[in-house]
Amino acid sequence: MNEALSRTGTRLRPGALSFTFDGRQYTAQPGDSAASALLAHGVRLMGRSVKYRRPRGPLCAGPEEPNALLSVGTAPEVIPNLPAPQVLVRDGLVLRSQNRWPTLKFDLASVLRAGGGFLGAGFYYKTFIWPSWRTYEGIIRRLAGLGEAPGRCELPQGAIEHCSCDVLVAGAGAAGLTAALAAARAGARVVLCEREPRCGGELEFETAQIDGSSALEWIASTLAQLRSLGVRILTHTALVAESCGELIAHAEPGGLPGGNTMYYIRAREFIIAMGAIERPIAFCDNDRPGVMMLGAAERYRAHYGVQIGARLVLFANHERVYSAARRLMAGGMNVRAIVDTRRVHQLSTDEASSRLRESLRSDGVECLAGHAVTAALGRLAVQAARIELLGGSAPHRQIPCDTILISSGWTPAAQAGLQQGGLAQYCAATGAFVAENQPSGRIVTGAAQGLLELTAVLRDGHAAGARAARAVGALGNSGAAPDGRGDPEPAAVTFARAPAPSSAEKRQFVDLQNDVTVADLRTALAEGFRDIEHIKRYTTLGVGTDQGRTGGVLGAQIVAELKGESLAEIGASRSRPPYHPVTMRSIAGFHVGAAVKVARRTPLHDWHSAHRGMLEPMGLWTRPRYYTVHGLSAAAAAVEEARRVRSHGGIADGSTLGKLEIAGPEAAAFLDYLYLTKASTIKVGRSKYMVNLREDGMVLDDGLVLRLAADRFVATTSSSHGTHMLSHFEHYQSTQWSNRALTITDVTEAWAVIAVAGPSSRATLHRVLGGSWSAALDRLKHMEFTDGHFDGGDLRLLRASFSGELAYELHCRPASALMLWEALHTAGLAPYGIDALDILRVEKGYLVSSEINGQTTPLDLGMEALVRLGNPCLGRELLDRAAFQEATRPRLVGLRALDGHGQFLAGAQLTGAESATRPCGHVTSSVFSPTFGEWLGLALVARNLTLEGTILTARDPLRSSHTAVRIVSPVHFDATGARMMA
Amino acid sequence: MTRLVCPFCGPRELREFVFHKTLPADDNANAYERTYQRVASIALSSEHWQHVEGCRGWLLVQRNPSTGQVFEVRLLGAGAA
Repeated sequence: MNEALSRTGTRLRPGALSFTFDGRQYTAQPGDSAASALLAHGVRLMGRSVKYRRPRGPLCAGPEEPNALLSVGTAPEVIPNLPAPQVLVRDGLVLRSQNRWPTLKFDLASVLRAGGGFLGAGFYYKTFIWPSWRTYEGIIRRLAGLGEAPGRCELPQGAIEHCSCDVLVAGAGAAGLTAALAAARAGARVVLCEREPRCGGELEFETAQIDGSSALEWIASTLAQLRSLGVRILTHTALVAESCGELIAHAEPGGLPGGNTMYYIRAREFIIAMGAIERPIAFCDNDRPGVMMLGAAERYRAHYGVQIGARLVLFANHERVYSAARRLMAGGMNVRAIVDTRRVHQLSTDEASSRLRESLRSDGVECLAGHAVTAALGRLAVQAARIELLGGSAPHRQIPCDTILISSGWTPAAQAGLQQGGLAQYCAATGAFVAENQPSGRIVTGAAQGLLELTAVLRDGHAAGARAARAVGALGNSGAAPDGRGDPEPAAVTFARAPAPSSAEKRQFVDLQNDVTVADLRTALAEGFRDIEHIKRYTTLGVGTDQGRTGGVLGAQIVAELKGESLAEIGASRSRPPYHPVTMRSIAGFHVGAAVKVARRTPLHDWHSAHRGMLEPMGLWTRPRYYTVHGLSAAAAAVEEARRVRSHGGIADGSTLGKLEIAGPEAAAFLDYLYLTKASTIKVGRSKYMVNLREDGMVLDDGLVLRLAADRFVATTSSSHGTHMLSHFEHYQSTQWSNRALTITDVTEAWAVIAVAGPSSRATLHRVLGGSWSAALDRLKHMEFTDGHFDGGDLRLLRASFSGELAYELHCRPASALMLWEALHTAGLAPYGIDALDILRVEKGYLVSSEINGQTTPLDLGMEALVRLGNPCLGRELLDRAAFQEATRPRLVGLRALDGHGQFLAGAQLTGAESATRPCGHVTSSVFSPTFGEWLGLALVARNLTLEGTILTARDPLRSSHTAVRIVSPVHFDATGARMMA
Repeated sequence: MTRLVCPFCGPRELREFVFHKTLPADDNANAYERTYQRVASIALSSEHWQHVEGCRGWLLVQRNPSTGQVFEVRLLGAGAA
């Protein structure tokens, strides 16, 4: 058990929580982050780097943290890669470090890699090429990767909230708070979102006076005013993306996934006040635990009361480092030296700055201008800083210390401004890029726009809020901009990396999360990668979970230096949303499992499940594939069902068929246009099998068209195509057929359909439907139907067959479906599922979506006779294209194994005599036929090879079988149709 | 482009609509040209959309695909008369 270091001036609530890190127990206060709690215990080593396994501690105090990534939870439900500063400690939290084995302090891989030297950019591409990458892949993958994927992880359901406002302000620092207040005072409806658990941004530690009060008092009073004006304040909510005009913010309370909220916010005006991220400096071994951002140390001090170290060296290129030193000293830390890369003449000369430096000196702080820290000494922790005079030849010296705080200026968090046409513009004040060219309805303000001095930030934020309010028509008085004064202008002089001999460049880290060094950037340039986006991808600079928030611009600065160009010419790589990691669970929200899509159920659904129907989703519908029989496999059950239909009879639920009712004086002409053959020639009381074409001549769908009356038809569509066909019909009704007398009604769910098939179907129907239907049953010829009533409900009796047997369809109202179905079942007809239906239709050569696959024309599917009828329908014109007549076009054929018992499966490629490697077609459907006792198939084969008797090979390398097959007629069974006409 | 203003239903989320096709720039294009030789324009695209999760109306949408600016949305067919 560690003893907690004493804290001074913490803003946390008192109390004690307990958590474990790598198996050891630690205490924390409510509000502590994992990083602050561990730092309070003096724990700095929090992980190992991904590539070199170098020991690492936290660099930052926010989500931009590249180093201290932790796994949370116990196996197998572990959530990896959470930045330690973002994770709020809860009682009993289990945390583990990553990328180390066996322990964090002693990692075996780091020893192995130390022997093998460094892995430069492109190392894997260049090294593991003989005999092949596969030889090494397994070993490398085991060592690679960030953290470990959870074995199982079921996060609690998150919420999705859609909301709207006049003005959305992202970021609740000085600029964001001011903007929100100005907009709200003017009368706008404002939402303010802040990625941190608290509002205030850098005001939390900056020495500032605003409107006569301290920064903390001003934050508190501003928040109170915002609340009283009805502003919605979302903390721990990061703006992560925008899509279709909505801004997407992700709330992750406690920094832990699970139970999160995704906000989809429609805002008329969007103010980006996301601040700036402090930039590090590269020097030798700048990744050692104990090297930290200056602002992070201030935040740990100011909010958590944590002393980041006992003896500090501060290393920066700007004026703010002196104010920071003063505050750190006031927090009880001993600042040994301030290393300022600026020459003496570049320091600010105003009285306050000079006086501050003088007072620091008199307190024993060594202020070194024109110097740089060139190396951090120590391995698991910093022990000293090596310091050199820049541009001189003076010998270097060492200053013993346990912490080196670095800062080379601030990079505006411009990512959200670089979408929707926003362009990156070089900003000299920050030495980085800001977002320009904003579309209307979007304002970037504060540090995100390159303003770093509080007075200017407050003015700009106020103006942004007032402007946004005016834009939405909120014309109230925004009040006066707050008057504030904080830390001085940074007056930074660009400095990206300390001078180093080339041998040390591989230890100057640029992107800490991906172990990208200055040497890698040099290699990429030497190998011809010139553009920053290419360099990024080759070296992995900025591709980590932190998206290079700290190292991205630093890398671009160093590339600029190596190329001898300016940063403005180099540019910076573009951030892509999400700007902040978001779990898939949050995106899914409640759209999981059964809630992913609408469920459509037939009126017989419950009967199927009660009778052991093996239900399977098909599109939005659920249908029984087969009915489970004890002792029979799935395939055998389906074969048995099919056998029973042929020998006796069976019933199937066809309610999922799409049914569109087309009515009106012009209905017949309309259908003539939409189908390959004419509907106008169908007699009332009859139906016809018809196919639709797309504009390009391909077959779109097929089905029966029933003529109910001279001006009234029902067109059936395949089950999965119903909604699409409705749109298709409506489209032509609105275009070529606009202002014509016809209506289209989707009656799919108004009619249940029971298919009754098999030699006993007629006799059974006689028994079940009884006297009044007997005449109709005797009279109806194939494809005829009649309407009537049964037991008080509508009944349409259609004689049509999808099995090749004598068969009927009963179309009835959903309410009577179960009664009819049960009566038929009681009368001796067993149900069959769609697997059996598939067997029956393949035996008969009937088509489904395997053959009508969007790439086949009616000519390919053996419908030349129908095409020759010359109905000038939609898609007909393009059927005459020469390309559709070529010998290599596919054609529908039947297949059987040459030896009479071999198996071949749908998807197998077919090859002919001339080539064993170039397929001439493929098997579209195959079934084991109980009627023939062998495998039967349908296939699409190049036209020039489709002579019956031709021998082909069905090749199925993934399932390891080659079967010799011969081409037969696609109608395997009852070619004359005698059974169905019986 | 963030929302479409359906002439029948008013401004609605884009997710309620389904894109169908881009019309050829040349009104006299034959079937082959219409189907296989469409040229995408970055300045003005005339498209057919359907308000599937609304009135089911078919719409002619004229927009600039590079900026997302929508110039006009009107009902095809009867509603447009």
